[in-house]
Amino acid sequence: MKNAPTNSSLAKVKGKEDAPIQIVEFIDFQCSACAKGVKHLQKFIKEHPNKVRLELKYYPLSVHQHGFLSAHYAECAARQGKFWVFHDYLIDKQKYWEKLKDVKPTFELFAEWSQLDPNDLKNCLEDKSVEEFISKNKAEGKLLGVKSTPSYFINDKMFVGFDQLEAELKRLLNENSH
Amino acid sequence: MKIVINGFVLSRLLIGCFFVVSGGLKLLSPYENFLYVVQSYEIHTASLDRMIAWVVPWTEFLAGIFLVCGLWLKIVLKTLAFLIAGFILVVAQAILRNLPIRECGCFGELFSVPLPAVLLIDNSLLLLTWWLLKKIDKTKNFSLDSYFVTSEFQKRNSDSRSFLTKTSAGTR
Repeated sequence: MKNAPTNSSLAKVKGKEDAPIQIVEFIDFQCSACAKGVKHLQKFIKEHPNKVRLELKYYPLSVHQHGFLSAHYAECAARQGKFWVFHDYLIDKQKYWEKLKDVKPTFELFAEWSQLDPNDLKNCLEDKSVEEFISKNKAEGKLLGVKSTPSYFINDKMFVGFDQLEAELKRLLNENSH
Repeated sequence: MKIVINGFVLSRLLIGCFFVVSGGLKLLSPYENFLYVVQSYEIHTASLDRMIAWVVPWTEFLAGIFLVCGLWLKIVLKTLAFLIAGFILVVAQAILRNLPIRECGCFGELFSVPLPAVLLIDNSLLLLTWWLLKKIDKTKNFSLDSYFVTSEFQKRNSDSRSFLTKTSAGTR
């Protein structure tokens, strides 16, 4: 595991530390609104590369059968420093895998495409502390009032869903341009 | 005052508690959560969404309390019937448009209810509310309304009795 960040949280962060727009997102990889939000954020970050710092946290919903497992794989990818590559596969192919009964082979394929070390991945998938870490992320979200996904904390203020995200980013952009 | 707890009173208490919990949970959670639920039905403008997200939880909560206490029952039941009818329309259009709403968001993740089930619950609630309105005299048992009405009636009755006593004494 070369170049792997020691803190997996660091692997789930994008953008400059002192960026004016600080976003923490609570995500469930099986939620379609989350995928819509990710695509909007990707576009926004591409257009305004120095303005946003994005950090991802897991909030797998119990209504989504693959929510927790997808977060487990994503965390394992984060521990190998490949979080964003794996994250992009999860989001881009969400419409395909969300309908599957057995989703493991698909996630294994994403892991292969993301060039994850198979032995490390196997160990990580058996590691109970990863599950605890994900549950801790969710508990943290709950404590902050998160009930559904995607929930964003933009400069410490809560926004839920795509419409609220879009409106706030638009507002911040206008504010920064004046 | 005779206290009678019948099916009408029990239904009134149940519906009241239902709305107290539903409204209370929304009020306890950050406003943005219910705003998200309202926005996901995709029927209003942004400003109307915001207004609905403010008004609905308070209406549910207060109407629920008033229903449990049995205060201003006619107005409260009519308000709730109007609110439930609104829910039915909103949920029905979401089902017809096949909107990607997995659950109504009424009770958060704790009680996840699919939309057709929500429609069923709302229709039952509307029928029950209508039934309570129709039989308002029985619904008023064990309520503040009946207490006030009874007290007022007793007061009026004793006033008129003393008046009649006085006038009949005068004529004698």
